[in-house]
Amino acid sequence: MLLPALLLLAAISLFPFFYIIYMSFNEVALIGGVDFEWVGLENWTLLVTDPDVRSSWIVSGIYFVTTVGLEMVLGIAVALLLHETIWGKNLALSVMLMPMFVAPVIVGLLGRFLVDSTYGLYAWFLDRTGLITWEILGSKGSALAAVILMDVWEWTPLIVLIVLAGLSSMPQPVLEAAKVDGANYLQRLRHVVGPLISGVVIVALLVRSMDAIRYYDIIAITTNGGPADATKVIPIRLYETAFRFQELGYAAAIGLSMLAFSILVANLFVRILKQQGLAR
Amino acid sequence: MIEKMRFSGRLTRRDFLRMSGAGLAGASLLGLAGCGEEASQGSSSGGMWKQYKGMTLNFISENTAPTSAIAANLKPFKDLTGIDVKISQLELGSLVQKVSLDVSSGDPTIHVIYADPYQVMAPFAAALADLNDFNEDDSLPSVPKGLGDFIPTQLAAAGRFADEEALYALPYDAPTMIWMYRKDLFDKYGDQMSQDLGFDPTPSESITWAQYYEIGKWFNDNADEVEYGTGQQAKQYDSLMCDFSNVLWAYGGDYFETGVQVGKIGTEDPGPAMLDQPKAIEAAEFYMKLNEISHPGSTSWDWTALDEAFRAGELAMVPNWHEFAAGVEASKLGGKVGYERLPTGPARSASMWGGTGLGVNGELSEDEQRAAWLFLVWATSPETQLSGLKSEVGGGTPTRQSVYEEPEVQKAQQRPSDMPNILTYEAVSKAWEPENIGLRPKIEEWNKCDTVIFTELSKMLAGDKSPEQAMKDAKEGFDRANGV
Amino acid sequence: MKGLGKKIVLYALLLLALLWTVVPLGWMVLSSFKRPDDLVSQTPTLFFAPTFQNYVGLFTGGNALGGYITNSILAAGISTLIAVTLGCLAGYGLSRSHFRGKDHVSFWIISTRMAPIAAVILPLYAVFRTLDLLNTTTGLIVAYLTFNLPFAIWIMNAFFADLPPALEEAAMVDGATKFGAFWRIALPLTAPGIVTTAILCLVFSWNDYAFAQSFSGPGSQTLPIAASQLITQTGINWGQLMAIGTIVVLPMVVVGLAVRRYLVKGLTLGAVTGE
Repeated sequence: MLLPALLLLAAISLFPFFYIIYMSFNEVALIGGVDFEWVGLENWTLLVTDPDVRSSWIVSGIYFVTTVGLEMVLGIAVALLLHETIWGKNLALSVMLMPMFVAPVIVGLLGRFLVDSTYGLYAWFLDRTGLITWEILGSKGSALAAVILMDVWEWTPLIVLIVLAGLSSMPQPVLEAAKVDGANYLQRLRHVVGPLISGVVIVALLVRSMDAIRYYDIIAITTNGGPADATKVIPIRLYETAFRFQELGYAAAIGLSMLAFSILVANLFVRILKQQGLAR
Repeated sequence: MIEKMRFSGRLTRRDFLRMSGAGLAGASLLGLAGCGEEASQGSSSGGMWKQYKGMTLNFISENTAPTSAIAANLKPFKDLTGIDVKISQLELGSLVQKVSLDVSSGDPTIHVIYADPYQVMAPFAAALADLNDFNEDDSLPSVPKGLGDFIPTQLAAAGRFADEEALYALPYDAPTMIWMYRKDLFDKYGDQMSQDLGFDPTPSESITWAQYYEIGKWFNDNADEVEYGTGQQAKQYDSLMCDFSNVLWAYGGDYFETGVQVGKIGTEDPGPAMLDQPKAIEAAEFYMKLNEISHPGSTSWDWTALDEAFRAGELAMVPNWHEFAAGVEASKLGGKVGYERLPTGPARSASMWGGTGLGVNGELSEDEQRAAWLFLVWATSPETQLSGLKSEVGGGTPTRQSVYEEPEVQKAQQRPSDMPNILTYEAVSKAWEPENIGLRPKIEEWNKCDTVIFTELSKMLAGDKSPEQAMKDAKEGFDRANGV
Repeated sequence: MKGLGKKIVLYALLLLALLWTVVPLGWMVLSSFKRPDDLVSQTPTLFFAPTFQNYVGLFTGGNALGGYITNSILAAGISTLIAVTLGCLAGYGLSRSHFRGKDHVSFWIISTRMAPIAAVILPLYAVFRTLDLLNTTTGLIVAYLTFNLPFAIWIMNAFFADLPPALEEAAMVDGATKFGAFWRIALPLTAPGIVTTAILCLVFSWNDYAFAQSFSGPGSQTLPIAASQLITQTGINWGQLMAIGTIVVLPMVVVGLAVRRYLVKGLTLGAVTGE
């Protein structure tokens, strides 16, 4: 039963994987068919010395921690809110889930439409209230914040969904017992609910982290890395290196470093899961 | 103007001999095509056109107005040749990606390439067919009215790379940056501005960039109709390089020492960059200064967004692509806008040219290349360019001199005009003269250099770097990219 | 009194979250019915004379939307179907087998989903070129499998692992084959999990832009590509863009919400187990 799927997966993933590894040791010429010229570790040494790539990793780090962090905090908070809600819970949940069904390209375009200083609804609101009177995507800080918030808008619902699932599966008796013991909401949250849902939270974290480092659609369609490289996350730089500069060997090295990072992060989360005895 | 430039194109004996035949083919484009297959198949030129009947061509293009016009009107080509054309319209970055993947496959599927001279032609020249072979082939139609009908600067800039002879593309569109301004506001405030500023602000060839700055600032302070006097297309993107280059050239700076040659023909070895020279730094300082009085949205705007802001009535004047005139005339600003060449600087007035040619994928089989050539000839023919001008989807502007001489096109230079882009003709025709045209370097590593310059400029505008530092870093980036 | 105060705070916060979520979407739908002038007016207009011209424009003319919709449905639908089918089989197989290095296999499976998108484009392009899958819907289906298949195996494994094997063992004692036990016992019990997996796979592939942009041609382009094509050199057609946004979002929202109950239940079953 396992075999057909694993064979297919191997077929579509192993070849590209080894191909990328090979590319990373070569200079790749495209015209007239792909042509490789072995350059040894050149791309890899460039990778560790390139100040542009380093600055992109820093931006990516900020982007990764803030998006995933905000999504987790907000997602858990909203899930808890919904869990406490009795009246209108289903309707609220339905509405709350909608953003995750929106294509990232559309999220980016919609975001651009909303924060445009000429006709954007949000830009207009922020300007009228005096909160942000400058061009949102035109300044470094606000542009980064804007693309982060677009991502948060889209993916918080996924966290809500997963955490809510965890909340609904908590054994009732334990909760009741805590109530009877006179623990207040925050105490219960910390000592009872928290441990009960920590596994789900890690799963949510894992699912999001996997994609947060890969996806670049939203940034590509809004700021494309600017202004002043403030939003130039590593996948944007990877795309640019590969298809704007046609330096596919170097791009492969960047890509592999991203993959290594993802695997590292995922490994960390899985290990935590195991420590808690939740994984099988 | 046009008359003066006419004879720089080479007229080979073959061109000359086949002028008449070409004329015939041209006539059949719109004329005979309507009469049905039999009529054109009978004549010899009809046979030439019909030889690849039943084939399907893939045409990949940036999503620009002329291609939209062609996409909306492919029937004449199908009638003429029996060839189907599938058009993919993409954003330029995606197009570059598609082309690089296609040429890497060893078995290409794209026939006709929208060969942006800088982002596609220069890096991929080796993958493009030399069109002279087709043009001089007796069994194929040649370019109607000869290559000399193309505006000479454009034929060189859009068609050639590093070689005076080889021709990789036929000029297809010709967007050029000009000065668009609110005529209504200049009329209303002209006298007051003259008094306050001490010079006549009416846009003309003699207005300098320094004066442009003064006018912009004046509008910021004095006019209620617009939010700001001017704006820039200063998003960290290609548009920022274009917008800045106008100023760079006007101040006498350039990217490379052999600036004009690198722009017109291009080179494989541009040598060291010149961006750290005093004139370039001066230009950067001015651009920075201009940014301070520009609409704050500028640093997030590309050309489209700047144009939108102008059309929305937020700005009194902008450096804008002339092909946006059709949109401007159709907006609420219709009839209120004037068009002039960009301001002048200590050295000259320079207008960034952003035209593109159509090329044939040289990796294809002989027959496919020849069929693609048929499309090139048709798509750049005077008739197609003329119908593009009238297209409802807002076609581009012609790259051929003969089209501008058509009476109906001449007439359209005045309002009311049924070809709104032609209202800009006086400005762009001067801009296309060799001494005025602004041509960015055509080099293999341009995509990298472009990214370097617009990134450094973006950092400068964000206050991360001084103009001097930004230009010095840009020079280093250029030199690294070009292996100097 | 205390209870009431708590409720007020609760609903106020909830309202805030709802506003944050719904305003952009509502604005998108509203804008899709606006004329160009209303769209780019400097003060946002809430009341305007509605028009269908944006939708009409999308479905008529040279690049009518119909084809894109079909391509999207086919590519996303079929890839989801294959991913879920194989995902169920493999997920079940994995959850019921015990071999050394199982952890590594299951980690390898999910790690294939972490491959950076832009980096795998060229290798996949080369493969598709050889197999003649470029510019075809089949190519897109395969491309989507690269991220949907590992996801489906991974998550289905979690669901099945959660299911006590005793049920199937009982069935097998009664004479059912191994497959019969899987088909008649395990599968129905994980129905919510299957629905959840299917929805998420559908969402990921329906919304893909990067692969569609690289591997699809005029005959196989999907809806997100159609959306990006509305950004042209001469301007962004915001009206049609908002309309296309609405069209892309609507089916996903409808499908997603129709099975929302399953979603929560499905994730309840499986999510806790992880890995």
